[in-house]
Amino acid sequence: MGKAIVKIIVGLVIGAGLWVATMTFDFPPVFRWLFFGYAVLGTVVFLILDAPTMKVMSGGKALVSLLVFYAILCTVFISGASLWPQYDPEDEKGKIVKILKGKPNILDPWKADEVIARTKELDLKAKELTERIKALGTVQGAAGQDAGAAAAPVAAGASGGDVLKIGEEQWQLQECYNCHKLKGEGGKKRGPELDNIGTLLPQEEIAKKILDPKSYKAEGFDTEYDKGKMPDKYKDLMELKDVQALAAWLSTFKNTSVNTPKPIKMK
Amino acid sequence: MKTWQRSLMALIALLALFGGVAYAQAPGTPPVEFPYTGNRTAVWIVAQLHILFAGFILGAPIFVVISEWLGYRKQDPRYDRLAKEVTKVTVILYSMTALTGGLFIFVLLATYPQFTTWLINHFFIVFAVIYPLLFIGETFVLYMYFYTWDAWKGNKKARHIALGVLLNLIGSITLFVIDGPTSFMNTPVKAEGVSPVEFLATASIWDKMFNYSWMPLNMHRLVGNVTFGGFVAGLIAAYMYMGSTKDEERAYYDWMGFVGNMIGVGALLFLPFMGYLLAYELCDYDASICPYMMADQLSMFFEMQGAMIGLIFLASNYYIWLSMKRIEGVEKVRMTIIAPIVMIALPLVMTKVLTDYPAPDPKSLMFLLPMLLAPAILGRFIPITVSSRTVIKIGFLMVVVGNAIWLTPHGFAPTGAKLVAELELPSDWNFLALMPAKNSAAFTLVFVTVVNYIIYNRAVTQGTIVWGKIDYASQFVLIFLAFSAIWTMGLMGAVRSLLRKYFHTYNLLPDFTAESFTPTLAYSAWYITGITVVFYAVVSFAILVTLRASHPKEHAPEGSPVPAGAK
Repeated sequence: MGKAIVKIIVGLVIGAGLWVATMTFDFPPVFRWLFFGYAVLGTVVFLILDAPTMKVMSGGKALVSLLVFYAILCTVFISGASLWPQYDPEDEKGKIVKILKGKPNILDPWKADEVIARTKELDLKAKELTERIKALGTVQGAAGQDAGAAAAPVAAGASGGDVLKIGEEQWQLQECYNCHKLKGEGGKKRGPELDNIGTLLPQEEIAKKILDPKSYKAEGFDTEYDKGKMPDKYKDLMELKDVQALAAWLSTFKNTSVNTPKPIKMK
Repeated sequence: MKTWQRSLMALIALLALFGGVAYAQAPGTPPVEFPYTGNRTAVWIVAQLHILFAGFILGAPIFVVISEWLGYRKQDPRYDRLAKEVTKVTVILYSMTALTGGLFIFVLLATYPQFTTWLINHFFIVFAVIYPLLFIGETFVLYMYFYTWDAWKGNKKARHIALGVLLNLIGSITLFVIDGPTSFMNTPVKAEGVSPVEFLATASIWDKMFNYSWMPLNMHRLVGNVTFGGFVAGLIAAYMYMGSTKDEERAYYDWMGFVGNMIGVGALLFLPFMGYLLAYELCDYDASICPYMMADQLSMFFEMQGAMIGLIFLASNYYIWLSMKRIEGVEKVRMTIIAPIVMIALPLVMTKVLTDYPAPDPKSLMFLLPMLLAPAILGRFIPITVSSRTVIKIGFLMVVVGNAIWLTPHGFAPTGAKLVAELELPSDWNFLALMPAKNSAAFTLVFVTVVNYIIYNRAVTQGTIVWGKIDYASQFVLIFLAFSAIWTMGLMGAVRSLLRKYFHTYNLLPDFTAESFTPTLAYSAWYITGITVVFYAVVSFAILVTLRASHPKEHAPEGSPVPAGAK
């Protein structure tokens, strides 16, 4: 019993030491608890090592102990898994719907769902266009030819804004942020930081890089062991207009204070 | 189980299989919608159950035949008995493999008829000819192996062992063959500059089979199956030990538990590296898989995996500790002081070396190999030794440290997008969450376990084992190891399948159903636990039926007088 108390005290001292150390090095509180938990685990392990021998059980007692043991295991494993931060599938569901929208389902040769969806979509678009034509007619009628001429760049500007919006959306949908840091977010050094890519590459070349990742390699990302290379899949997964929109959006990033590595033309 | 019962189960499996195929061929049949679980989870449950049974019947014969051979070579009947008893359980579970396999195909065809037909069309020769022939061949050889056990002994034993080798050969080929379509779904064939659909149209069956992750998956499953088989053998021994009433029975099942655990742990040592190889190839196939696994949607699955493997290593080393306690004269065993020094230094030095020279840079080996071999080489010249008890206790400390390093995440957020500074490791300590640190943690666990087995081996040669006198708690450790190994298999099976993201076949065939999202870890844990419990219940029943029931009870000797008319 005395030894057990000594072990508990040692465990608590180590736990407290870890707590103080993690505080000193500015670890967030959740990590302080984690490290304290490691000390508790170590204490439990060393207590179990010198625990007294378990008595032999038989018959009903053995069976009951077995069933209780299984119940404990199930509870610990389920609650252990539930304690970790949980990913919210709702975050992904919306993305998947957007990515798969309009994609052909080669398993469904009749494409019944697609035809119905497409019909509805076209119907909506037709109604929208009719409304816009009506509205344009009203504006032109009221303001005359000059106003009509001035409306053109506004429309073009709105279209450009849409493209950039689509580009930004593609950045999120294709989860580019998992490898590339942009605006101080994402990255983790798998791919180059892209805040200054607009200065280094024109829009067309960015699109080329997305469609054919081997066309360019960034300085420092051309090592012999290039396991983290950019996947050669976006030409198959993305629509060309989406690639161009993404490239257009990326080309607007011209923050020269960020050291985006220089692209090396490979092809 | 009698022959007619096995035949009936096989018949049900075949009916389910052909019924499913016939169902899927009906044109325009809408998919079935499973209540409560949904279609994807229904497929998951049945597939995982099938894989668990299949994993055991493929893994167990590997060590069964080795055990039989050892028994023959050492003339130790315990090895032969172990082999035969595990084979008895294997035969029952073989029927369950066929039954769940049929059910799996049936559920798959009912829920995803178009995709299943598509996959069968692409691997028609595999599903229609090669796999059934191998399965029939394996059935034939397994039953022959089992039923000739008593007939082929003495000078015919070598013939019986050869039959066991043939069984393993067929079993391994079966595993490799069925891994083809499985791995294809994760990493379908591709070629630079050609769209996957176009390339698939021209690809041969061999191209489809020999995809990026096929061989790593084969190796991972082969080693995993032996680990799993070993731990289930330990489970069988634990049950039988707990039910034994005689000392000689306890002695035998204590020995069997030790051997089962040794096989399980022996294969387990290779498992992290096989898993690493598989992950490496998956990342090489498509680098976006890596962050999905390690930093994004599945990152917490890997945290849980780290916790499970840490617990398994703790438990297996605790079992060695308890095993040492029943060796008389163990206190005399000593070991060079270099061994614990290397144990303590290993995580730090290895993290530094692998950070500066990432694998597979050979320079990393130049530093690490001399360090790992130091106890064996320098230990001969430096006479300072410490007691085995001290070495093992330092080993436990380092197992806890290794677990801690493996478990420490980059941040307490389920995805990188949700990570904020209050949940993230300070940047100076971020190395704790990177692969070099994780690899060094895995290696520390392996190194400590190897050292403990070396100590055990020395203790055995210098002392005397008192079989049957092991601490009763050890039986719970064996049960825990089997349960945890099965649970971890379920967890990693879910991960491998989820890596296809919202595709049936990655980047090739999207899953347009509403269920193609990543589930939460908590949701997965419920189902993994449920599957493990069902599998455990069936295995426990199989052990009870084959081993407990077959133990003859004390009865009147033959030839004793029986009253007239008595039945």
